Amino acid sequence: MSRPGFVLEVDDRTPPLVVHEGLGFRMEEFPLGTRVVYPPESLPAIDDVDGAIRDALLNPVDSEPLPELLFSGMRLTIAFDDLSLPLPTMQRPDVRQRVIEAVLTLAAAAGVDDVEIIAANALHRRMNAAELEHIVGERVFRSFYPQGKLYNFDAEDRDALAHLGTTDEGEDVEISKRAAESDLLVYVNLNLVAMDGGHKSVGVGLSSYTSLKHHHTAKTMVHSRSFMDHKASKMHHSAWRMGRLIKDHVKVFQIETTVNNDVFPKPFDFLMKREWEWNLKDQASMLAARRGLAVAPQKLRHKIFHDMRAPYGLTGVNAGEVEAVHERTIAKVHQQQLVEVDGYSDVLVLGVPYLGPYNVNSSMNPILATCMGLGYYFNSYRGHPMVKRGGAVILYHPLNEGFNQLHHPSYVDFYEEVLAETTDPQVIGEKYEKQFAEDPWYRHLYRTSNAYHGVHPFYMWYWAAHAMDHVGDVVWVGGDRKVAKRLGFRAASSLNDALEMVSGSVGTSPSITYLHNPPHILADVKV
Amino acid sequence: MGVGEFLSGGVADVRRTARGFRWGRRGQVPRSAEPYVLPQHSTVFDTGWARRPAVMAAREIAQKVGLEPLFRSQVHTRVEGLDVLERLDGPVIFVANHASHLDTPLLLLSLPDAWRRKTAVAAAADYFFDTWWKAVGSSLVFNTFPIDRRGGSMAATPGEVLADGWSLVVYPEGTRSRDGWLQGFRMGAAFLAQTHDVPVVPVAHRGTFAAMPRGAGWPSRTDGRRREVTVRFGEPLRAAEGESVREFAPRIKDAVAALLDEERTSWYEAQLRRSAGTTPDPSGPDVAAWRRVWEQTEPVAGDAVGRGRPTPWDRVRTEARVRAKAALKR
Repeated sequence: MSRPGFVLEVDDRTPPLVVHEGLGFRMEEFPLGTRVVYPPESLPAIDDVDGAIRDALLNPVDSEPLPELLFSGMRLTIAFDDLSLPLPTMQRPDVRQRVIEAVLTLAAAAGVDDVEIIAANALHRRMNAAELEHIVGERVFRSFYPQGKLYNFDAEDRDALAHLGTTDEGEDVEISKRAAESDLLVYVNLNLVAMDGGHKSVGVGLSSYTSLKHHHTAKTMVHSRSFMDHKASKMHHSAWRMGRLIKDHVKVFQIETTVNNDVFPKPFDFLMKREWEWNLKDQASMLAARRGLAVAPQKLRHKIFHDMRAPYGLTGVNAGEVEAVHERTIAKVHQQQLVEVDGYSDVLVLGVPYLGPYNVNSSMNPILATCMGLGYYFNSYRGHPMVKRGGAVILYHPLNEGFNQLHHPSYVDFYEEVLAETTDPQVIGEKYEKQFAEDPWYRHLYRTSNAYHGVHPFYMWYWAAHAMDHVGDVVWVGGDRKVAKRLGFRAASSLNDALEMVSGSVGTSPSITYLHNPPHILADVKV
Repeated sequence: MGVGEFLSGGVADVRRTARGFRWGRRGQVPRSAEPYVLPQHSTVFDTGWARRPAVMAAREIAQKVGLEPLFRSQVHTRVEGLDVLERLDGPVIFVANHASHLDTPLLLLSLPDAWRRKTAVAAAADYFFDTWWKAVGSSLVFNTFPIDRRGGSMAATPGEVLADGWSLVVYPEGTRSRDGWLQGFRMGAAFLAQTHDVPVVPVAHRGTFAAMPRGAGWPSRTDGRRREVTVRFGEPLRAAEGESVREFAPRIKDAVAALLDEERTSWYEAQLRRSAGTTPDPSGPDVAAWRRVWEQTEPVAGDAVGRGRPTPWDRVRTEARVRAKAALKR
C-alpha cells in the first residue's frame, strides 16, 4: 500500500530536508510554516510485466487487437521514445524493450518482413549504439541495427519526410516518411510525466522543425498553463490537432506505459524517503554521500550520478487508439504523482537535480538548468501555478557544469551571443530562432554527430517562458553569480540571503512552498 | 577543497543532522505529517532468552548492583501492603496505574526478591521494542516482553509467559497518564486473569507522576531533596464463577482506585467509602487541564513541603513538641 502525497508544514519537529542541487544535494532548514509538497509513494509495480503487455496488445482500447492488424507483406514501423525518458535511465530491461519484443513476436508470427524501428528523437540528439541498445535490448538491437533498420529519426533528411497537410489553424504536419507510409505505425511510449504521450508521441517525436515551430514558441508556452496538463496546454492543443490529421493518413497503434516513483537505486534510496522516517542507516548514508561528493572531483560526481539506473517498476500499460489510451495513461500518472495543494504562495522553492531530459549522459548546462527549474518543475502544476503572479522563485543549482561541446554546440552560441543581447523569450524567438534553426553547421552536427538541433536551446528557453512571465524574481541559491547574471537572474549563497533578496517583491515574511522532488510530483493547486 | 574545509563541512553536517534528527532522543514526526505515518508493524521480537537462567543471573546483578542503588539515590520510596503476597504462591498479575517510567522499577524493586526474579513486565512493542537496543536493554534489565497496543502477532504472548510460571506486570491504561490521573482500563489484564485462572494484585503508584512525568528524562527533586514515591499493594482479586471479563475489569479498576484513595487517607476510611460506593473518581475532576496536573504534582507525604496524610508518628511528635514547650514555659 503506497501512501498518498501530501503537503507538510514545517514545524519545530521537522528535520532538515533534502534539496537537490545539480551533482549533489543539501540538507536545508526551512523557515517554520514553509509548505513542502511531497510526492505519493511508489505505486506497487506489476509483477507479470510480459503478461500485462500481452494482455494490452490483445485487448486494446478502441482498436482491433494487434495480431489482427499484422499481415504478411505489410510495412510495419515501430517508433519509440528516446533516451530523454525515463529519468534517470531505467535499469535493464527497459520497459520499451519488453513491449517492442512483444510486438515483434506477434509480427514474426504474422510473417511480417518489412519492419523498421525508429527512435522518435525529433530534434534531440542522435543516440549512440549503446544508448539505443540499452532501450531496445540486445536481441532487438542485433536483429535490426546492423541492417540499418533500427535508427534515429532524422528531422533534417528532406527525402525521409512527408508533408501530410495543414491543420484547421494552418499548422504544417510533417513527419517521418517511413512512418507516414506504413500500413501500421506502432508507437511505444514511456509516459513519465503528464506532458508526455498522446498525440505528442508521433506528432512531436517523429516530426520536423516545419511542424514543431508552430507550437514550440514563447507565446504558446506562456499560454500553456501548464504544459503538464494537456487539456490546458496550447502546445498540446496544437499537437492534438496535428495528431488527428496524422490519424487520417496512417493507422497508429499507440502503446503507452507508466512507471512508479522508484527513481533512486541503492545506496541513494534514502533520497526517496520522507526525512523524519530516516533511520540511522539513512542518516549515515546521507552524511557519507555528502562527504563523498564534497571531496570528489566534478568528473567523478558526474559519473556517480549519471551511472545511476532507476529501478522503475511498471504500473500500467495500455494500447490502442491514441486518445483513449492516453486518458487511461494520464489517470495512472495522476495516481502516482498528483498532490492536492491548497492555494499558491509568495515564494516557490525548487531544487534542480543533476538530470533533465536533455542532459542524459551529458552536462546540465545553465540553459538546461533554467529549463528544468523554471520549465519542468515550475510547470508541474494543474490549475494555478504554485506561486502567485509577481511572486518569486528560488532555485538551487551551482550553474557550474559548463557546456558539452558534443551534445550542445548551439547552446554555447545561444548563451554567448543571444543571452548576451536579451533574455526575453519572445524577442529571442523573433530575432534569432530562424537563424539557428537553419544554420548549416548545426544541421550537419545534428545529422551526423550527436548534437541537439540548432534550434533546441530556444525551445529550452521557451519552456521557461511561462515562469518568466509569471514571477517577479528568480534567485539561484549556490549558483555562479556571473552565469546567473547572464541568464537574467541573481544568485545567493543561502536560502536566507535569497529570501532577503526577494523581500522587495514578496515582503519579509512571505509564504513559501517547496516542491520536494524528485521523485516526480504534479501539484493540483486549488485556488 | 582543502582538508580544513572538508572537515569543517563534515562537522557542520553531523551537527545539523544530530540536532535535526534528534540523536539520542526519540524521533518526532512533524505535526502535519502525523496522519500520513503508517502504523508500525509489530516486529516479532523474541524475548524468550530474557527468561533463561544465565540472563536472570545477569539481570539480578543489573538490578541489585546498578538499578536499585541508582533508583534509591534519586527517589525516596515507600512500600505498603506487601503482606498480601505472603498469602499467594503462584503467578499473579500485578495491575497498576501508570503515570511514569518510574512505575516499573518502583514496583519491581519493591517486590520480595523471590517474586521479583519471577516477574515479567508487559511493555508496548511500538515504544520499547522499536529499536534493537531498546528491546535488548529493557528485556535484560526489566524482563519485558512486547505487547502490541494496536493488535498484532507477537513472538511470546502474555499467556505463554504466565503459563511458564512467571508473574506479570500489566498497565491496563495502555500508556502513561498525561496528567497523573487514572485513564480508562483496557480488558487485557482481566481477560488474562480469567483465562489462566490467576489472581490479580491491584497496585497503586503515587508520586511518580510528580517526580518524573512524560517528557522528563530523570526524576526531579523538591527543595533539593529526593521526592517520595509510594507503591501500595492491594488484596488479590479473582474472577468469580461466571463473571464476564466486562464485569471483572471494572472491579480491578475499582480496587486500584480504592488503593489510591487509601494512599491519600487511611485504609479504614477508604474501605468505608468503597463500601458506600463513594470512592473518589480516580480519573480526576472535570476541570481545566492545568488544575488536574497541579493537583497531581503536589508532593506526597514525606516530601519537604505539603505533607499530606498525617502518620501516627506525627501525632507523637506533635504531642512531644507541645509537652516540651510547656515544660520550658514552666
